[in-house]
Amino acid sequence: MTSSGDSLVPAPRLAGRTLDAQLHLMDRQVLDHDGVPVTTVDDLELSGPALEAEIRPGTPAPVLTALLTGPVLGTRIFGGRPPSSRLIRIPWEDVAEVDVVLKLGVSGERLDAGWVERWIRDKIIARIPGGRHDPR
Amino acid sequence: MKRLLGVALGILTAIGGFVDIGDLVTNAVVGSRFGLSMVWVVGVGVVGICLFANMSGRVAAASGRATFEVIRERLGARAGLANLSASFLINLMTVTAEIGGVALALQLASSVNYLLWIPVAAVAVWLVIWRVRFSIMENVTGLLGLTLVVFAVALFLLKPDWGSLAGQLAPAVPEHETFWTYSYYAIALFGAAMTPYEVFFFSSGAVEEGWSVKDLVQSRVNVLVGFPLGGLLSVAIAGCAAVVLLPSGIAVTSLSQVILPVAEGAGKLGLAFVLVGVVAATFGAALETTLSSGYTLAQYFGWSWGKFRRPAEAARFHLAMIVCLLVGLAVLATGVDPVLVTEYSVVFSAIALPLTYLPVLIVANDPQYMGEHVNGRAVNVLGMVYLVIILVASLAAIPLMIVTGAGS
Repeated sequence: MTSSGDSLVPAPRLAGRTLDAQLHLMDRQVLDHDGVPVTTVDDLELSGPALEAEIRPGTPAPVLTALLTGPVLGTRIFGGRPPSSRLIRIPWEDVAEVDVVLKLGVSGERLDAGWVERWIRDKIIARIPGGRHDPR
Repeated sequence: MKRLLGVALGILTAIGGFVDIGDLVTNAVVGSRFGLSMVWVVGVGVVGICLFANMSGRVAAASGRATFEVIRERLGARAGLANLSASFLINLMTVTAEIGGVALALQLASSVNYLLWIPVAAVAVWLVIWRVRFSIMENVTGLLGLTLVVFAVALFLLKPDWGSLAGQLAPAVPEHETFWTYSYYAIALFGAAMTPYEVFFFSSGAVEEGWSVKDLVQSRVNVLVGFPLGGLLSVAIAGCAAVVLLPSGIAVTSLSQVILPVAEGAGKLGLAFVLVGVVAATFGAALETTLSSGYTLAQYFGWSWGKFRRPAEAARFHLAMIVCLLVGLAVLATGVDPVLVTEYSVVFSAIALPLTYLPVLIVANDPQYMGEHVNGRAVNVLGMVYLVIILVASLAAIPLMIVTGAGS
């Protein structure tokens, strides 16, 4: 917020679709390129100056860098912030399509966001007889 | 011809699948204490479940999104989590009640103590969820559940005085009951008819079976014909209790009393049918509620889910259901009376109704999700009316529970 009286210049018009982070991104389902659910968007990561740092004129506007999941859901609900190393990121470059769901252009198999699923699959579910049986 | 068979099958499974342990117990309790004076509540409940099951099915078919994904997206993480906690716990209570119901019915059929049947029932539920294809699971339990029609047959064989039975249909509080117990059981009956898990299951089932907008006509027929006929089955259960138990002053507290009128009216053969029906109905509902607990968790957290995937491809979903079944087993192993769990679960279902139905109503009006299939005006008016009814029932439930000492 500027302390001086001069009003802000209105935001420049942008080409393309305007996405409201709260309305169109947060808490939406994320699917990988095969349509397999990966996670829900638990939070978003923006580039830009650190919190409470002074913003100098001419600083580039923050951009969306990643979708977040993991412990960040807990801190989003109950307050606080996990250290950056604990954030599980899905880079924004991997997002191919934003609709009622977010579609990734990559397979979910290699993403960090899927490690709990893979661990439970490999250590528990796949070891129970019939765990890899195709129901159809 | 094939299409016609599909419709017929869908209707039959909707009838057979409508009744669960909550409907069985609550209708019998109400019939034995209030006669047929609460049939109107079943009517209100059936119209409500038709309305919202249809709506959530339409959301799932038009957008491919099941109910709890929608709840999380609309309410956000925090309110969504509060909703998940309440819905999940009540659903877990229903899982417990249904497995207990299967065990009690098997006890009646075999004279082996129900506590020994509980692990058998839970393992059977897990095996079906683990191995059996979704459509087969639905159709077999639904069709076997149809044998509950024997309640209607028994009602006729009991040769009641139809005139006086019809006279009970007017909503009125019987002399020996108070207005407060009447209202409490009205809410319980409403909760039993509109249990939220049916909506979770219905919308997730639509995704499981890969419905598109083209399948909506068939699903609408299934719901609009099947559920009201299932409601008639509920009324027959209450009717049997009203004819046999009400005059002798027996208030239902166990499953054997629920089926007693059938034994009296239709004899041993009737008893055999009703036992098959009760096992099928409670077993089917145990499957649906267990799946629903997996669906709600997976959809909130965005996990991969669905019986159409291999268990290994929906690992957390399957693990969650295994844990739920184990918790249900542990609760039942304490020796708590499954009928009591059922009576509480339907009242808590009534309390949680707005949590499920409000977000469904909101999203069914969202063109981003629904495209041209948003709610029409008539559906919205009816939906708003029901929202008011649901809110009143939800807010009144706990005070009434305290005032009446849970209906005693």
